[in-house]
Amino acid sequence: MKGTLWLAWRQQRALAGCAAAVLLAAVALAAYFRAGMLDDLHSGVFDHCDPGPLYCSRPQDGLPQFLDVEPLKLLGALNMALPALVGMFWGAPLLGRDRELGTHRMVLSQGVGRAQWFASRFALAALGTVVLSGSLALLFRWWWEPAVNRSYGVFWYEATALTGSGPSLVAAALFGLSVGTLAGLLTRRVLSAAALTLLVTGAVAVLVQWTHRARLLVPPQRYVSAGWRPKEPMGDKWSTGHYGLITGSGRRDSVLECPYPSGRELRECMTGNGYVSRYYEANPAGDYWAFQWADTALLGGLALVLVLVTVLLLRRRV
Amino acid sequence: MTGPDEPAALHATDLGFRYRARGTWALRECGFTVPRGRITALVGRNGAGKSTLLHLAGGLLRPAHGEIRVLGTAPDGAAARTRVALLTQDKPLYPRFTVADTLRMGGKLNAAWDRAVAERVVREGGIAPSVRVGELSPGRRTRVALALALGKRPELLLLDEPLADLDPVVRGEIMATLMAEAAEREVSIVLSSHVLPDLEQTCDWVTLLRAGRVELNEDADALREGHLLLTGHADEEPALREHTVVHRRVHGRQLTALVRPRGPVGGAFHVERPGLEEILLGHLQGAAGGAKGAAA
Repeated sequence: MKGTLWLAWRQQRALAGCAAAVLLAAVALAAYFRAGMLDDLHSGVFDHCDPGPLYCSRPQDGLPQFLDVEPLKLLGALNMALPALVGMFWGAPLLGRDRELGTHRMVLSQGVGRAQWFASRFALAALGTVVLSGSLALLFRWWWEPAVNRSYGVFWYEATALTGSGPSLVAAALFGLSVGTLAGLLTRRVLSAAALTLLVTGAVAVLVQWTHRARLLVPPQRYVSAGWRPKEPMGDKWSTGHYGLITGSGRRDSVLECPYPSGRELRECMTGNGYVSRYYEANPAGDYWAFQWADTALLGGLALVLVLVTVLLLRRRV
Repeated sequence: MTGPDEPAALHATDLGFRYRARGTWALRECGFTVPRGRITALVGRNGAGKSTLLHLAGGLLRPAHGEIRVLGTAPDGAAARTRVALLTQDKPLYPRFTVADTLRMGGKLNAAWDRAVAERVVREGGIAPSVRVGELSPGRRTRVALALALGKRPELLLLDEPLADLDPVVRGEIMATLMAEAAEREVSIVLSSHVLPDLEQTCDWVTLLRAGRVELNEDADALREGHLLLTGHADEEPALREHTVVHRRVHGRQLTALVRPRGPVGGAFHVERPGLEEILLGHLQGAAGGAKGAAA
């Protein structure tokens, strides 16, 4: 095992160096911009903002106030692209380069078995992927912390935060790595493997975003308020956009039956049509972790399946 | 050294292999034994199955039918991996590794590694250790690949077209290195090549493949003694009927035939002992020319 690990390191050290450079640059930029963000927060401009309203406005003229969170969102976007990047640049050449050059024949005729050849290089790549994606996820979290779910900051359900942080990022990166590895084994060309990896990881990323929007894996909760009492504020909940009215018998109707926010008109409309309460559907902020674990299980499971397929194909294809 | 109990270098029983993409059998019903301690010429035309056979023996491919054993063990087992070295035709090496790195890799990947031998083979070619493999000429790359194979101190060395693409001088040098190392430690070598004259000097066993089947598998001297090259008038042809005609050629009124005599040769023929090259060439041409007729 030591010999193949040496070879794996010799072949992947350039990649590991690149990953370390990217990580260092991200840390430096994060430290710089986070310090600026903290300075803005400590200046007192945002002190009057409560977590509730979606927009915090300036007292003097009522204009909405925002913190500069664009660099943070950029890091989130990089994190979202990480599975494709890891798959294309680390996964695709992992077996694909040896297959393309034919060098696996040389390695395999040098006292090394297929399983060992694969296991050591995949283990090293997986370790690198976990360290890189885990560090970037933690970095995002650290930078995001002062602005979590603030009207002037970044809410937990924004894609850059929900997909760009947490354990699901590690699972997504491992998924990208395993897609690239299998693609390299199947196509025998690094370039085609990278293209295929981009296609697959892109499609899966879109699919994951769709499951978030559709609340497929984490169903929303229904918040009901009796009569025409003001509804519980949305706050940091992630609204599905479903608002409605409930009759005495429990039937739910669209909010458009009584399209009034409050007041006498609402009361008259509701009593006239027999509605006894109003509701809306949303995911509370605590669902961040439900989404995270659902994605982690989904992508981690897919990665596991792909590695299994790779191992099974190894004997037939190499 | 080659006692009856000692396992053979190669032993195939009803060996068959087909590539999925092509669908046809690359090797079929191959049963043969190559004894240990021999330098075997694996001969055959393009597509005869030489590379397939060597890849099967090296454990890179698995038989679709039958089995092949190397030094008495399965080719893809751990025991065979340490005792058998295979140099494939494309001589794959990492182009971005330096020569020194490549040899270091050999040391890391093999349980037993003779650094001195590997370095000597490289040094004899005048190759600087700091050069990247990708910048070497084909002959030098072959030498580095050979150093990697010899550094394993294999008991069986499988070489697939090691001399292709090399000029005659380099061919001679590499052959000399190979033979020197082989003689020092009684390595069994199986070597496929198109360069028949090179084989004449070095090989003492011949395995000839034709269209995926084994046609010859014999001691080289026995082959030389078992064949005759006859030259005579075309009218003498009926006298050949009692013998196995491997290849015959009629040029005007003159008949030249390579035969395996089955008894004394009659007729007015000029009789010569053919060289190994002529025998192999005759067998390779035999089927292609469709000229087996006289023997039947």
